[in-house]
Amino acid sequence: MITFEHVSKAFDSLKVLDDLSLHIAADQIVGVVGPSGVGKTTILKLITGIVLPDAGTVRVAEGSVGYVFQEPRLLPWRTALDNVAAPLRAQGLDKKEARSAAARWLERVELDGFERYHPAELSGGMAQRVSIARALAAEPRILLMDEPFSNMDVTLKGSLIAILQGIIKERQTTAVYVTHELTEALQLADRILELTPDHRLRELDLSDRGAVAREWLATTLGGLDV
Amino acid sequence: MVSPVFVASPADTARALARLAWEGTLWTQLLITFKRLVIGLAIGAGVGLILGVLAGLEPRLRSFLEPLRWVGMTMPAIIIIALAMLWFGLGDFTVIFMVAVIVIPTMYVNTVAGVLALDRRLVEMGGVYHFPRRLFLTEIYMPGIASPVMAGLTLSTGIAVRAVVLGEVLGAMDGIGHAFSRAMSYLETPELFAWIVVLLALMAVIEFGVLRPLKRRVMRWRKVAG
Repeated sequence: MITFEHVSKAFDSLKVLDDLSLHIAADQIVGVVGPSGVGKTTILKLITGIVLPDAGTVRVAEGSVGYVFQEPRLLPWRTALDNVAAPLRAQGLDKKEARSAAARWLERVELDGFERYHPAELSGGMAQRVSIARALAAEPRILLMDEPFSNMDVTLKGSLIAILQGIIKERQTTAVYVTHELTEALQLADRILELTPDHRLRELDLSDRGAVAREWLATTLGGLDV
Repeated sequence: MVSPVFVASPADTARALARLAWEGTLWTQLLITFKRLVIGLAIGAGVGLILGVLAGLEPRLRSFLEPLRWVGMTMPAIIIIALAMLWFGLGDFTVIFMVAVIVIPTMYVNTVAGVLALDRRLVEMGGVYHFPRRLFLTEIYMPGIASPVMAGLTLSTGIAVRAVVLGEVLGAMDGIGHAFSRAMSYLETPELFAWIVVLLALMAVIEFGVLRPLKRRVMRWRKVAG
């Protein structure tokens, strides 16, 4: 579905990816974790084609792409409903059909009743849910998510992860999910790839997710025994 | 006591206004000026808007147009009208040309500023969702630059009213400007003041009847969003 072969990318003199190779099969949910600035978002942008590699090749199977950005990135002059409808209109649906489908997706992210609200009237978490609904409404073959839960409280995050997991599995979508929170990735992903500060990529062994979570927590909390 | 040759009293001005309205001169000249104003403004604002959008998106075109913008903004109106009279003689075409040429740089500068200030992240979002050109225009670019474009249109309208009067004083044999000039030549001070009142009324109708409602409509999302 998605293949990177010896991909390198730098922005000006800042090296972000160096000789990166990876393969993501269809219908997998892949988490990409790592600290800020190691190139996680760049991987997503390379998949969409809005950023091109300096070296190597990126191959992505045909099909629409949904993208949940780090910040909601909604059109401030459009209502929540029209924001969700926008990718559907880009796919050729007329306004009425697009709005009707968009209303269903808003309901799925528990935002029914907020269709006519503008982004500035919504909380950060609600706006991000609109952004998730927009990405899902396009019924994408590939769903890319860039730290989509960063503006949400723990309860909401948990319920949205469950909703997303259900939708992704139900629609057999391939999802690539970038985060610096390993525990989030453990809840959602089938595979987890870790990008290290020295631009290496390693796959985590998820046969014992509890052990991975404990090890990560212990590292995060400064060697505390968890 | 100021001589009535220099300043007409409100009563004399009202009487002159009533006479002009009764004879029909007011309506005939108003219609001629209004037609020239609307056509000149529409051409100038349209050309300024289109060039501004294109130049905002394309830096090479912006560099190419920069000397023309500079010439357009610094050229005295009297020179433009003199050249227009030389090329086109007296009449509609000269006045409309003058209005359009004076309006273009103001609209252009405001539109370029709007395009350059547009949130690039929204453009990137449109790219990710493969917005077709029409959707980019209606959902991102036009609403995104509406505020500076409306400011430009308001400024342009004021400039256009002044330009149309000057154009008619020098380059036409009819219209409010010509009637104003004629009243001045014959020291018909009440009539001269009556034409000033007509011009102010015309400007008020455009400002409160067209521009403000248009601005409210275009920018209503801001009000909703608080």
